[in-house]
Amino acid sequence: MVILEGRNITKKFAGLVAVDRVDFKLHKGEILGLIGPNGAGKTTMVNVIAGIYAPTEGDVFFKEKNISGLKPYQIGRLGIGRTFQIVKPFPGMTVRENASVGAMFGARGKGRSARQAEKKAEEILDFVGLGDQMDVRADQLNVASRKRLEVAKALAMGPDVVLFDEVMAGLNFSEIDRAIDLIRKVRDSGITILIIEHVMRAIKRVCDRIFVLHHGQKIADGSTDAVLADENVIQAYLGKRYKALVG
Amino acid sequence: MGNYRLKNYLICSLILLGMMLFPLFNNNFVIRFGTDILMFAIMASAWNIIGGYTGYASFGNVVFFGIGAYVTAILMEKAGLNFAVAFVLSGFGAALFAILIGLPVLRLRGHYFAIATLGVAEAMKALVQNLELTEGNSGIYLPMLDLSVKSQYYFFFYMMLGTLVVTLLVTYLILKAKFGYSLIAIREDEDAANSVGINTTYAKTMAFALSGFFTGLAGSIYAYQQAFIKPGPVFTVGTTVKMIVMAVFGGIGQLFGPLLGAFCIEIISEVLSNYFLAIHTLFFGAVVILAIVFTPKGMIDIASQKKFGLAYFLQNIRENRV
Repeated sequence: MVILEGRNITKKFAGLVAVDRVDFKLHKGEILGLIGPNGAGKTTMVNVIAGIYAPTEGDVFFKEKNISGLKPYQIGRLGIGRTFQIVKPFPGMTVRENASVGAMFGARGKGRSARQAEKKAEEILDFVGLGDQMDVRADQLNVASRKRLEVAKALAMGPDVVLFDEVMAGLNFSEIDRAIDLIRKVRDSGITILIIEHVMRAIKRVCDRIFVLHHGQKIADGSTDAVLADENVIQAYLGKRYKALVG
Repeated sequence: MGNYRLKNYLICSLILLGMMLFPLFNNNFVIRFGTDILMFAIMASAWNIIGGYTGYASFGNVVFFGIGAYVTAILMEKAGLNFAVAFVLSGFGAALFAILIGLPVLRLRGHYFAIATLGVAEAMKALVQNLELTEGNSGIYLPMLDLSVKSQYYFFFYMMLGTLVVTLLVTYLILKAKFGYSLIAIREDEDAANSVGINTTYAKTMAFALSGFFTGLAGSIYAYQQAFIKPGPVFTVGTTVKMIVMAVFGGIGQLFGPLLGAFCIEIISEVLSNYFLAIHTLFFGAVVILAIVFTPKGMIDIASQKKFGLAYFLQNIRENRV
């Protein structure tokens, strides 16, 4: 079943076409990767889905409902959570309060009291591995923990779909491994994932399918193995050296 | 935890009791001085809702004070309504204005918002100076309160005190509720707040309206107390600056910060003008600067942490200044 679909999505900034007539489908329960070189339009794509920008043309459908043009908070309440590439914690709040805000106002927030939201937040923080830092102020966290908090805030909303925008950027090897485990755990809990990532190791290990953007256009779409072997993708993004490495 | 809360309730009750008994032991001059402190405490606390918790530093909050004053004056003098009705309508009038002006102006952030609100207040002053309804620069006389002199002083003191208590109580309840979380989330990161499902436009506008409501109430009492108002003094930017200085001095985004700030600032300013009448504003400025540099979190932080001394000051400066 298709849970999130983009049809002919185009986003122009004045003369620049950041996203150019892109179609994609996200099936319930899968992890879809979105890759491409810097400036390809990946984050713009996520911002269009999340309602930061309205698409110039085309439409986004969530559970068969057209959500293009809705405000970010409306989309959040419908059940799409997102993380920001440049993390956006509420710096002066504790980790617990950060996640509580997600639990209060997200898809499952209605009818939840502040106290109940706090309970939910603690559950989620345990789930993402921040259980022992709940009383720390968000601006005191290290990079890996901030990324986790970003995930926790999105999950606390009780979403059906989450958009992960480079949640692994800036992490070291062992942190990436733990992040991969976390993403799989999120999927196993029944949440569908769209993930933007540059870390190929992670892409290969978590994604069921991938689509590739280049200069705003979709140049490939399919199973992870097939797309990574695609000549166009290697030319545009992965580079010849990558091909040599994989053989 | 329970003990701690009990202690806080006890302290609050004692302070309130002290304030309630205050007029009984003082002469008219001191009561009037106390009334002024309370008035500024209301306005600084109301400013705290939008400026402190929501993070939108309004430089035009005096406009709500002025609207409150003028609504009361017009309703009582021209429509012949009694004070109770005019008082309540003044609050709602200011809140309504906050909503109307907030919808466009709250789209701006940071300095732009500050400048826009400053402009709104100045424009409103010019409007009031030129309208027939407000009798322009000649001002409006209000009906006098028909009580003995002593009772009048009591009346205005307790009106201000009651309004202040309601302002602080409402702020407290907001902070406990989800609405309070949404305001603080907006202050901390508005885009992130929007993405987690907070209707930021609604929350900001409501915060601005509440801020306007209580400031309008203060304006209403002020107008009745003065019995004569004119645009210049009522809409002066100085009043906004005072609200902000008090809130910052006492502790921004802290429930009792603005109250403490109003108390300290009024007393410092009174003492200084006693000793150095001509140049007291100079000393006053210096005191404010020193306080803000050395205690950026406000006086309330020192009072509640019970930490003094050099180490605390250095830590405070490190955490908040560098």
